[in-house]
Amino acid sequence: MQILTANELLSGASVYFGRDRRWHQDIHRARIFAEADAQELDAVIAAAGATTRLVSIAVEKVQVKAGRVVAHRLRERIRAEGPTSPRHVLQPLREGDHVSL
Amino acid sequence: MYRYDEFDLGFVSGRVGQFRDQVNRRIAGELTEEQFRPLRLMNGLYLQLHAYMLRVCVPYGTMNAVQLRKLAHIARKYDRGYGHFTTRQNIQFNWPRLQDVPDILEELSDVEMHAIQTSGNCIRNVTTDQFAGAAADEIIDPRPVAEIIRQWSSLHPEFTFLPRKFKIAITGAPQDRAAIRFHDIGLMAQENAAGEVGWMVYVGGGMGRTPMIGKRIRDFVPHEDLLAYLESVLRVYNRYGRRDNKYKARIKILVHEEGLATLREQVNSEFEEVKGGVLTLPEEELARIRAYFAPPQFALSDDRFDLAALKREDAGFARFVEHNSHPHRHEGYTSLTISLKPVGGVPGDATAEQMEVVADLAERFSFNELRVSHEQNLVLPHVAIRDVRAVYDVLNAHGLAEANVGQISDMITCPGLDYCALANARSIPIAQELAKRFGTAERQAEIGPLKLNISGCINACGHHHVGHIGVLGVEKKGTELYQLTLGGDASENASIGEILGPGIVAEAVPDAVERLVQTYLGLRKAKDESFISAVKRVGPEPFREAYLAA
Ligand code: HEM
Ligand code: SF4
Repeated sequence: MQILTANELLSGASVYFGRDRRWHQDIHRARIFAEADAQELDAVIAAAGATTRLVSIAVEKVQVKAGRVVAHRLRERIRAEGPTSPRHVLQPLREGDHVSL
Repeated sequence: MYRYDEFDLGFVSGRVGQFRDQVNRRIAGELTEEQFRPLRLMNGLYLQLHAYMLRVCVPYGTMNAVQLRKLAHIARKYDRGYGHFTTRQNIQFNWPRLQDVPDILEELSDVEMHAIQTSGNCIRNVTTDQFAGAAADEIIDPRPVAEIIRQWSSLHPEFTFLPRKFKIAITGAPQDRAAIRFHDIGLMAQENAAGEVGWMVYVGGGMGRTPMIGKRIRDFVPHEDLLAYLESVLRVYNRYGRRDNKYKARIKILVHEEGLATLREQVNSEFEEVKGGVLTLPEEELARIRAYFAPPQFALSDDRFDLAALKREDAGFARFVEHNSHPHRHEGYTSLTISLKPVGGVPGDATAEQMEVVADLAERFSFNELRVSHEQNLVLPHVAIRDVRAVYDVLNAHGLAEANVGQISDMITCPGLDYCALANARSIPIAQELAKRFGTAERQAEIGPLKLNISGCINACGHHHVGHIGVLGVEKKGTELYQLTLGGDASENASIGEILGPGIVAEAVPDAVERLVQTYLGLRKAKDESFISAVKRVGPEPFREAYLAA
């Protein structure tokens, strides 16, 4: 299972492509792509690139545990939650930072 | 300190305007990220895991109070109220927004600061001894030459697209506090038989995935020929340095593959052509630059510390004096290091309030001079010994009086996986756990001087290769592991640490370091045989055994 992530251009914040085709900071709202969804995933990546508002677009492996999306890599879990020591909240998205496809 | 002339002013503010325009075009979609990325990197703007990161240059680690206050202001207004001082004597802000960056750069230019040459394949910020212009053992203040190198290298038309980044470090003292042998070029002041001061040149040092100790390419280059000589080295590197593989592109690989003798020949033949030409540094020009770095008006004083008395009166203050003061060339003065390594803190971080406190202290007690050390601390270079108590009291009130300079808890630590997009593992929590374990005054007094450095990946931003003990983050099957190295040394007795064995999990790192420390305590000849001396005397084996004995 995979999700699609990027950094939003204006804030630099890490964002995830959601089930509502908007980009969210909350990884748990991410659209999960199965093997069979490869074509759709490619189309979304192309559309994301075309917005010019998303940087470092990347696919990440995840599992869903008790309804929560858990990234495979620690790197991605830290990206989703923020620095650990001390804990910092995520870079907030402001009004104009929201992107949808 | 150096003040911008009209050229500098025009150049820096021109660059701000240019970058503002580039940011606007990027946001409007007129530039793609592929086009924009090199432009933002040229202005010190990286993209990390959670946000952008802006790296601001502190030329040769020298600042004044107004500049540090400006950094505090930027931290507060555009960031999260803190900044991170780096081992390249710069400062990084972890949370700027793209549109704010041109404003930040404009504010910086008001106080003669910028982010140019903090990234990309150019000649980076020249680093130097944090006690430059103050140290008792100094032959010459290296900052005028560092400034001349800065002017020569800033946007040098030939050298903005080198095969790879190029780092120069310079020291005016025989005791190397700038890790010059781990730079692409390292310069050390020398006196020749005629009593003239010039520069010994090392080349091909570096860290990263192939750590190398710089090799001596020339014993003595006179001041007036230094730029010509540097230009010759850079030309040879620019011509022969490998552009086919970025892991083999640093000059250290060229030295390694071609051999020092070949490189020396090539540089010498270039030097023969360039020498005596436009790059010759006239004595008047050197004098003009030197005037900016004229020593302050020191008062006459024969004050000195009476450490024994201090120890009886106030153990905490005595510890601060013992560890955080450094011998000054002028009697009655000292250089004070302000440790940014409190137990449990993030090594190198300072809050805006702390920056302002330090700026005030610099104005009141250090002739408005400040330094950033490559060990990620701040320095008040010229404090009268009679003022040290007053400085200490202020520092103490703001959590800045940690008396651990040169001790095990004074770690160089890179941002690691908490921030850095290239990381394998976290560095900051490891530093925090180690500081908790070893950071008490009693333990550090028992252990004595010990450098422990931590990097979150093989790029070695945290100088782990030259830690007496080094900790390197690696990744295996999705978990963070740490490799320990032993016997690295950044000083004039340069050495690279040896890997002790397989990687271990984070929780096991404090115990592993404990075993190394216990081994040392068990085999040292006397209390004044330091950790690194003992390691060099007995070799790594007893330590390796202890490491593997888990
Ligand atoms: C996002 C943040 C950073 C990135 C992307 C980054 C990237 C890199 C890379 C790619 C290298 C290896 C270069 C090579 O070997 O050719 C390197 C080396 C280095 N970096 Fe960083 N770094 C970052 C932060 C830092 C920080 C915070 C410090 C200071 C604490 C630092 C200081 C250094 C130093 C001293 C080296 C040594 C390399 C050498 O001289 O061979 N960097 N960095
Ligand atoms: S050593 Fe690696 S993890 Fe640490 S800052 Fe450098 S690139 Fe990032």
